[in-house]
Amino acid sequence: MSDGLAGALAPRPEPRWATPARGAALPLLLLAAWQAWATTQPDITRAPSPVQVAATFVRLTASGDLPVSLLQSLGRVLGGFAAALVLGIVLGIAMGTSRTVRAAVEPIVESFRPVAPMAVLPIAILWFGTGTPAALSIVGYAAFFPLLLNTVHGVSQVDRTLLQAARTMGVPRLRILRKVVLPASLPSILLGARLALGVAWTAIIAAELAVGAKSGGGGSGGIGAMMFVFYAYSIDLNGIVACMIVIGLVALAIDRLFRGLERRLTPWRH
Amino acid sequence: MTQSVAETSAARLAGTAETGEAVHAVAPVSLVGTLPVLGPTTARRVFRHPAVTSALSFACFILAWWAVAVWTASPIQLPSPPAVASALIDLAQDGELFDNVSVSFVRLLISMAAAALLALPLGFSMGLSERVNSYVDPLLEMLRPISGIAWIPLGLFIFGIGGTLPVFIMAYVAFFPMLLNTVAGVRGSDRKLVAAARTMGVSPLRIVRLVVLPGALPTIIVGVRIAFAGAWAAIIAAELIGSPSGLGFAIEWYRELLMSPNVFAYIIVVSAVGYTCDLLLQLLRRRLTPWASGAELA
Repeated sequence: MSDGLAGALAPRPEPRWATPARGAALPLLLLAAWQAWATTQPDITRAPSPVQVAATFVRLTASGDLPVSLLQSLGRVLGGFAAALVLGIVLGIAMGTSRTVRAAVEPIVESFRPVAPMAVLPIAILWFGTGTPAALSIVGYAAFFPLLLNTVHGVSQVDRTLLQAARTMGVPRLRILRKVVLPASLPSILLGARLALGVAWTAIIAAELAVGAKSGGGGSGGIGAMMFVFYAYSIDLNGIVACMIVIGLVALAIDRLFRGLERRLTPWRH
Repeated sequence: MTQSVAETSAARLAGTAETGEAVHAVAPVSLVGTLPVLGPTTARRVFRHPAVTSALSFACFILAWWAVAVWTASPIQLPSPPAVASALIDLAQDGELFDNVSVSFVRLLISMAAAALLALPLGFSMGLSERVNSYVDPLLEMLRPISGIAWIPLGLFIFGIGGTLPVFIMAYVAFFPMLLNTVAGVRGSDRKLVAAARTMGVSPLRIVRLVVLPGALPTIIVGVRIAFAGAWAAIIAAELIGSPSGLGFAIEWYRELLMSPNVFAYIIVVSAVGYTCDLLLQLLRRRLTPWASGAELA
């Protein structure tokens, strides 16, 4: 889209297929090299290859293992995310509209923010055991911060003239909130939601992996636990790579979904 | 419903008059300034200073923690603040705390340096040349959605349990924000300045060093900050699962021993180190790029 600096200064006409062809060159080359390397290795479970990964993916999908694990992980992410959404937006609006609330809550939030969700996982295990509640709390914790920070940012950026105008005309507080503050901060909130869901997806993988690693066996399920089983028990690197690709695709889908949502809900920004 | 709200606000922001339904055309019931949006009112003047409010709320937080700890009376699930404080002091006097912090911190520095060594040159060449960008960008966009955490099982296979895995995971995590921000920074540098320098016969390398680099630096530093935050989160996961040392390992180790005060003490240390590093990076940004105003969100 945007040309590089050099490109802008010395424009050169090119055929339309040139860019996609270039883009495909490096991935294809790497795939070919990977496949070539794998064929020289004796053990196919320890030397994953693109062909084997694809075959494993088809097998896992057909047997239902992968879809079930994926749904389990996605369900946890959505549960934790929903809780974080409500908490983050409510607290964010309170912090964005009131200086006192902000001064009171900010130091606590800021001291928790550098603590990775994974560092809280041991506490979550102590409190909730190794099942779904622990996973939900980790996801909620991870998703909370981007939502909160972006909501605060959005609310504190609301045009003051609009607020004063609404107030001068005697609009009740709640109505101002709903009709002025929320719409104006919607772009920020949506951005926060996009980041939060991405972080939540990462956190659930980490939590499931760690629970699998530390509770001796993937009893809790989910795609992270599935990867850990492939690592520790069935030693199937093709399965691990297939899971990684699925994880990447889900992250990509989340990102695209929210960008689409941003375009639909806040069309004036684009 | 959200959509309709968005649309009305769109109309509002666009300045189109909207009367009747949304806004009551009656005399103001509330005085200007009674809404908390605009800040101080007389009632709040006592605790108006943010620092006072912050200190008070932090104290309340500690007291609430203490109260809950006493009430639940389950020191394994929730140790009291004094127990955690004494655990922290013990660990510090022991030297164990310092060992684990320095192990994790050295890993952090190595991986940030590795990520910067890869990301900065690549980012500059991608930002300067559309051709390089068209070759490399699709591959990177394919890899980027795969989070660093997802690499842990494969990384365990390749590197085994030890110090290399966390470094690899963190470098991977730190690489993408640094790269993207470098590309954005380089592309955002003022084209008129570049063209002017070129007209005056400045060599391309000097243009990059004297024009493009200063222009891109604020964005790059923001990238470094985001990269640091991501790496600091990833190191805990990587050490917790696949390393025999470091902060993440220590947290998990004491959880398995059910020594909760130590778990909480280490979590406080994770927070303190992360917070300090972020402050230092902000300081660095102000030092290196005092001209850039800092509107940023991590």
